[in-house]
Amino acid sequence: MDITLFTPEESPFFQSTQQSNGQAAIDMHSNNQPQNSHTSTSRSSDSGVLPSASGKWASRLLKECAQAISEKDSSKIHQLLWMLNELASPYGDCDQKLASYFLQALFCKATESGQRCYKTLTSVAEKSHSFDSARKLILKFQEVSPWMTFGHVASNGAILEALEGETKLHIIDISNTLCTQWPTLLEALATRNDDTPHLKLTVVVTTSTVKSVMKEVGQRMEKFARLMGVPFEFNAIMGLNHLAELTKEVLGVQEDEAIVVNCIGALRRVEVEERGAVIQMFQSLRPRVVTIVEEEADLSSSRDDFVKCFEECLRFYTLYFEMLEESFVPTSNERLMLERDCSRSIVRVLACDDEKSSEEDCERRERGSQWSERLKEAFSRVGFSDDVVDDVKALLKRYKAGWALVLPQGDHDDSGIYLTWKEEPVLWASAWKP
Amino acid sequence: MHGPEVIQGALDMIQPHHEPWDYPTNIGFPTPPFNPYQLKPVMANRCVNLERNELSERVEQIAKQLIEDLPDQTESSIDILHSDTTSQDKFVPSILRDFSPRKAARRNYDDTIGSEVQWTNEPNQVSDYHARNINRGLSRLDEHGLSLITLLLECAVAISVDNLGEAHRMLLELTQIASPYGVSCAERVVAYFAKAMSSRVINSWLGLCSPLVNYKSIHSAFQAFNNVSPFIKFAHFTSNQAILEAFHRRDRVHIVDLDIMHGLQWPALFHILATRMEGPPHLRLTGLGTSMEILVETGKQLSSFAKRLGISFEFHPIVRKFREIDVSTVLVRRGETLAVHWLQHSLYDATGPDWKTMRLLEELSPRIITLVEQDISHVGSFLDRFVGSLHYYSTIFDSLGAKLPIDDHNRHSVEHCLLYREINNILAIGGPARSGEDKFRHWKSELARSSFLQVPMSANSMAQAQLILNMFPPAHGYSLVQGEGTLNLGWMETILYTASSWTSTASR
Repeated sequence: MDITLFTPEESPFFQSTQQSNGQAAIDMHSNNQPQNSHTSTSRSSDSGVLPSASGKWASRLLKECAQAISEKDSSKIHQLLWMLNELASPYGDCDQKLASYFLQALFCKATESGQRCYKTLTSVAEKSHSFDSARKLILKFQEVSPWMTFGHVASNGAILEALEGETKLHIIDISNTLCTQWPTLLEALATRNDDTPHLKLTVVVTTSTVKSVMKEVGQRMEKFARLMGVPFEFNAIMGLNHLAELTKEVLGVQEDEAIVVNCIGALRRVEVEERGAVIQMFQSLRPRVVTIVEEEADLSSSRDDFVKCFEECLRFYTLYFEMLEESFVPTSNERLMLERDCSRSIVRVLACDDEKSSEEDCERRERGSQWSERLKEAFSRVGFSDDVVDDVKALLKRYKAGWALVLPQGDHDDSGIYLTWKEEPVLWASAWKP
Repeated sequence: MHGPEVIQGALDMIQPHHEPWDYPTNIGFPTPPFNPYQLKPVMANRCVNLERNELSERVEQIAKQLIEDLPDQTESSIDILHSDTTSQDKFVPSILRDFSPRKAARRNYDDTIGSEVQWTNEPNQVSDYHARNINRGLSRLDEHGLSLITLLLECAVAISVDNLGEAHRMLLELTQIASPYGVSCAERVVAYFAKAMSSRVINSWLGLCSPLVNYKSIHSAFQAFNNVSPFIKFAHFTSNQAILEAFHRRDRVHIVDLDIMHGLQWPALFHILATRMEGPPHLRLTGLGTSMEILVETGKQLSSFAKRLGISFEFHPIVRKFREIDVSTVLVRRGETLAVHWLQHSLYDATGPDWKTMRLLEELSPRIITLVEQDISHVGSFLDRFVGSLHYYSTIFDSLGAKLPIDDHNRHSVEHCLLYREINNILAIGGPARSGEDKFRHWKSELARSSFLQVPMSANSMAQAQLILNMFPPAHGYSLVQGEGTLNLGWMETILYTASSWTSTASR
């Protein structure tokens, strides 16, 4: 891209002592560089940072900036933040968006205002969330991308198979999907050959933005179940601060129930040190099956290494943003909302220390293989049957090209199935039994 | 292309004796400083007044209240300089402690330039004028839009008193809830203004404010704007007409375009010159621009077009040397009739320090200068610029919204790649030039004060403008107004662009 750097003669550094009829004071390096030269204005001898002609400039600048922050190279940090600030825009192309949201996180980090910023962003999001807007968003997202539906289809398949023949079902849904997973399952239960079982659905909500809408969600689910002719009971657990606090009593688990734990995008929100405890808690519920769906990224093992964590975060969200860009129309408000959701997570991961938070909002994802290591302590893996795999494949066919399903490879103790976007694994789904 | 036909049609209307150049005593009466309160509507092509309903009155009240609550500018700057920075504690960067906030310098040029006021009224009344007009640019204001605007104004006030921490917090909120793809123009405007202010807050904190400019993106957005709105064509065609008149019976002519971009303006003029009665002149065009690559390309295209028309043509590209035009490289030959053209914008600093540009103009002593200005000021305090540009850009957004659907790609491109760039620049520290240099508030006034005489825009130019408007429905939204020797084009009651022409006293 044709970018001209306004070079040092008009240097950006103002000195507070100098003002003569408003003339800006010039900084020390006043080399007369010719216009159009793509050289940097850094004070340090060689910053080597340039927006170059090809795309992907955002990734380059952002990584350099993260590196500079970890090295505490203050002038370089300034230089790079300035460039990012000039080039970024949350309403432009993918590079500009990534630059914008990651710049926000880096800026918060540099000013140590991450926690405060995150809190503000979250409370704003809560205020502007309504059932209608949330529902519209999810439905649109599911229409244009299998990101959510992949996990639903795989999990429902495993759940139905595990609950074959059971009459009293209790599904513990730890997710923020506004119950969009369950209508198809209810339908399947209603059309089972044998008597329709009784279903109790206990939803555990971990995102504050979703809490406000659960009442309406519950009402709709009850209505739908009535229509399907499925005996149904709905509960929402929202006062919880930490998943590990869940108990049989809190969940209303009864002895004669067939328990299912369905965990979509929820494990990553648990503080890293507590994840083991949460899995133990699942075990104590004695479920028939535990279905886990998580986004495929490793933001936890590198949490002490800012640069490494940053690069992984950037890698993942680059994929995600590109996926969003290709799935939605350019002027989509839904896509904008999803991007803004990401911006909060990015701030949380990069600019907030892992201090004990009052909410379950950690956002440090782990890869499927890492989750598997944890889950193996308490559970053993259940493979997805061929029927379920076929269902998932059929689902993917309904969407634009680029999506694929990757199955575990023979001898390698692979842990689940992966959804890939342009051959990069992005989601992981798996099922476990005690 | 409509251009040539349009001009042909206008030419048919020319009466041979009507030439402002023949009336030496009437030219260039010193124009009083441009007074926005005295627009003289002449053309019937104006829309009805907007209804002032409760909402718009409320917006006006809020804006006025916020501005009045503001302590007097000079006082606040002193306060800021002397007070300690603990109120801004949230912004103390721990890893960057060697860096203290650059408040003082910023305050200075913001205010010293603002004090060179050419308004006939007190600053507060100026703000009132703008406050009154903010709502006029937001004709589809609703409850949601109103709350966004209120928050935006509060944010601007926070920035104007250097309360960056508070501003940042409010901007976090605004940038999460306002969408640039929204149904209401107000929401779109707020989204971009909020982003521009966020950008400024970060630059403030960094102490850096130079711009990085993506010319390709700007130029293509400029072309999109030319396609969906009449403003650029208005500028081009009225100026071309004035230039044509100045070139009457001259056979060696030279045009200097101070920011030629892709030279969209000139083919239409070439066509007229090629077909004029006395035959085409020998034509030289000096194009100033920001990148040699683009200039060379533009030159090629114009040359080949001129060749097809049988015009003897030379093109001289001048890459704008760093922040100023290199006077020595504009070569004027003896016996040439010189026209200088300048379509001003806020996309980037095209010409550098104004005093240098003025000096260049004086040295060149052109027979005609055609100037098209935006009706916003690049100078003044942040709040002044904020209020003025909110009014201005709301109006443009409204004009786009009246014509294009919500999800129109061109509309988004114009709003994001062009208008947002301008908003960002105007609100930036130091304005579009991003420097502490003096910029004139209004070139018209400066030219009048200097050694130039105004040449009133002719009836033919007016006719040109009218023809342009006919190409852009809904024509009833646009307002074409004759000023004092100027032509003004706007939307509804707001003037957005003013075209004027001038001659050097030394050129006769």
